[in-house]
Amino acid sequence: MSAPAISAPARRLGAPGFWTAVPILAWVILAVFLVIPLGAVLGSSLRGEGGGFSLENWERLFSSRRYYTAFVNTLIVGAGGLLGALLLGAVMAFCLSRLRIRGARLLSMLAILALVSPPFIGAYSWIVLFGSAGVVRKGLESLGLSVPTIYGLPGVLIVFAFKFYPYVYLLTSGALAQVNRSLEEAAENLGLTPFQRVMKVSFPLVLPALSAGGLLALIHAIADFGTPRLIGRGFPVLATEAYTAYSAEVGSNLGMATTLSIALIALSMIFVALQRRLASRANTHSNLVNKPDKIELKGWRNVVAHVAVYLIALGGALPAIVSLIFSFRKTSGPVFQPGFGLESYQRIAATLTLPVVNSLLYSLAAVALIVFFGTLIGAYVARRRSAPAALLDGALMIPYVMPGIVIGVAFIAAFNTPPLPLTGTALIIVLSIFIRRLPYAVRSSAAALKQVGPSMEEAAVSLGLSPAQAFRQVTLPFIAPGVIAGAMLSFVTAINELSSSLVLYTGATKTMPVQIYLTINDGDYGVAAALSTILLAVSALAIFIAFRLLGRDERALM
Amino acid sequence: MCNFAGARGRGTPGKARGRGWMTGVEVKGATKRYGTMTALDQASFTAAPGEFFTLLGPSGCGKTTLLRAIAGFVELTEGDVALDGNSLSGVPAHKRDIGMVFQDYAIFPHLSVADNVAFGLRARRTPAAEVKRRVAEALAMVRLDALADRMPAAMSGGQQQRIGIARALVIRPRLLLMDEPLSNLDAKLRIDLRDEIRAIQKSIGVAAIYVTHDQEEALAVSDRVCVMNAGRVEQIGAPQEVYGRPATRFVAHFVGATNFLPAGFPGLPQTPGVAEWALRPEHVRLADAPAPGEGRLDGVAETYVYLGREAHLTARVGEARVVAQIAAPPADLRIEAGRPVTLAYDARALHGFDAQGARVTSGDAA
Repeated sequence: MSAPAISAPARRLGAPGFWTAVPILAWVILAVFLVIPLGAVLGSSLRGEGGGFSLENWERLFSSRRYYTAFVNTLIVGAGGLLGALLLGAVMAFCLSRLRIRGARLLSMLAILALVSPPFIGAYSWIVLFGSAGVVRKGLESLGLSVPTIYGLPGVLIVFAFKFYPYVYLLTSGALAQVNRSLEEAAENLGLTPFQRVMKVSFPLVLPALSAGGLLALIHAIADFGTPRLIGRGFPVLATEAYTAYSAEVGSNLGMATTLSIALIALSMIFVALQRRLASRANTHSNLVNKPDKIELKGWRNVVAHVAVYLIALGGALPAIVSLIFSFRKTSGPVFQPGFGLESYQRIAATLTLPVVNSLLYSLAAVALIVFFGTLIGAYVARRRSAPAALLDGALMIPYVMPGIVIGVAFIAAFNTPPLPLTGTALIIVLSIFIRRLPYAVRSSAAALKQVGPSMEEAAVSLGLSPAQAFRQVTLPFIAPGVIAGAMLSFVTAINELSSSLVLYTGATKTMPVQIYLTINDGDYGVAAALSTILLAVSALAIFIAFRLLGRDERALM
Repeated sequence: MCNFAGARGRGTPGKARGRGWMTGVEVKGATKRYGTMTALDQASFTAAPGEFFTLLGPSGCGKTTLLRAIAGFVELTEGDVALDGNSLSGVPAHKRDIGMVFQDYAIFPHLSVADNVAFGLRARRTPAAEVKRRVAEALAMVRLDALADRMPAAMSGGQQQRIGIARALVIRPRLLLMDEPLSNLDAKLRIDLRDEIRAIQKSIGVAAIYVTHDQEEALAVSDRVCVMNAGRVEQIGAPQEVYGRPATRFVAHFVGATNFLPAGFPGLPQTPGVAEWALRPEHVRLADAPAPGEGRLDGVAETYVYLGREAHLTARVGEARVVAQIAAPPADLRIEAGRPVTLAYDARALHGFDAQGARVTSGDAA
């Protein structure tokens, strides 16, 4: 056998290898769709009314009572969201993973429903039940019971607790399932009571997961725009102030919007960094020998446990349930009538097909981009343990922490003018979803690839395939179910994306979540409920496909 | 740092026969640095065609890095690898025609056994009929012909590694690399499969480079063993040479069990330059009095461990501990701790090392 005599310089001068091209591509994407918009945001926040360099926006941020209040309020809703989610999530996790609860499958499905409920529906449904004309409030009033309305800070916190508890629940129950039963048996053997065992063994072991989940709730709470807007009613937070500054009909102030955005990014960054540290500690013990056992409670304790978990699960799924029911209520114009009917859906079919079609198209386009680039970059990040790969991995976390409203404002600031005048196009919405959700796809593909191990690909290379061929023929088929499942979950988050599109949409590029927001503002609850139900149905279908392929893993949704 | 140059001159047939011969694999001054960390430091060796050559060393000694550099998965900082007289630098891994067997098998789980084996042939666009024939041959060689259509996922580690061997060999590679192929298997299977691997390699006649940290495995399968430590080659030689005439203190320590005694220890010879003596347990025996040509050590028994085929007696001799191996120990032999014992050793079996760990004396009891 003769050796192919390939001289060394010939290759070094040749085209860069496949795995050199991938990170270059990734950095170009990040530069254009992250660095430039963020630079524009910063630039805009440093420009005064006259257009020159000025710190006046920042002076206003720190001197104005209004923005100070918004800042403090953001911290309050963050802390409140964290505590509420922690309380509900911990109860759910401990009960469902350690106690024999009837209907546990249904309960965890309800938790998923809470997780994927389209934005605003939550707020809206609570208003329907507990608003000034709320169904439940009216009902209780007719019985002589006076209940305060949901509006204001307490309402925001209640909604957040029910909306974000799944983060804590899913992370913690995952960690609880990983606690080796031998540890608890050892504690029992050493003479600890069941309660002491939980407090001294299980609780410290799941503490990192608990806090990681709680911080995730906090991060989402401070980025949330819809809930403080609809339920807060005069309860300003940074996200709503940024939107107001941007969208005010009179005196729209991009500079102020961008300044508030930066404050919000900075706040998110701090908590995301904290969250990542805790999350990395949450998955350390996993050589599971003995699966933990579930105990069956007796008597009243059993009743209490069941009531608690069902209340939490139903509370979380309430928005979805309420919109499903209300979407089928008889309406006449925006007003509900007694009985059931399909008027809301008929009105969507007649006048609102555009948002539905837009949503599907934009999400599919964004998901295609996300899957393609996410898989490639994920493979690179998972495989190369080099400093540049770690840097790329870190840089990719920035879009992950950017609240949607900030991405929207940043894209407006960057792409309003040539060379890339994208404002008002469908592309800008697709791209905003793409960059925001790219980190999820990178993470999930990197996670899938880490389980494959590099030797499979190396085996293929040693057998004569080029690196690109080896990736396509060996690694890709192997991770395909994971990639498709990831795509479905990206689709769910993409189609539910509201806050960035709210800033970016024009009449022709309205999406379903935007339309729901506008419809709720118009008081047309029937149509909003019907749109929400359509959104839920599409999301449910995608999740069903994902779980079919991936095996059931609720945590993939976070 | 050691006299491996001498060992190398003796043990490289490909090189010794002069020009005109296929020289197999030649590694020259292979060096790999990661930042300030040096994983490989001027490692050189040659392996002749058909030779079973083993890289042996503790984890982190650079043996796997060296193997991966030969395969093309690691780019050397300095040095060169040549195959059949042609430099491999600049040749991408997939164009090297080198078969590789992996520690974790790396069997493609989405392909059947036969498709796994056919993988490399299909990558080379081999005609279907020939693929079929050669796959059948390769599977017969590893005794998996009955399982050709099965999916590998549910198969045992031993079976999966057989697929890996067939897959690497079916492409008729110019060189076969094996990266700790047996370390994930249980002890019994490890012994069976290692004998099988050697038999297959010899029947095909392809040069093989085998990486392991298991010294017994290295001695059992290899024509020659290259002992590595901290990125450097310590010694290259036949198993008998490496075990019987360790070139460095490290080799004496890593290959086989050894008692180390400081120079000037009572009962040991005085040799200039020797800082430390090594004495293998099998060359120490329990005796009433040493025979001619034997040295004597007096000590106190500490433990006596009965292992069936042999027993190990640990005795405290002065400041040191000496282990004596007792072959075929009598069933009624009991040695209580504290009992004075006399040990006799074969004086020719002493290996002396200087302060740098290089061999000084030419003891020879192999």
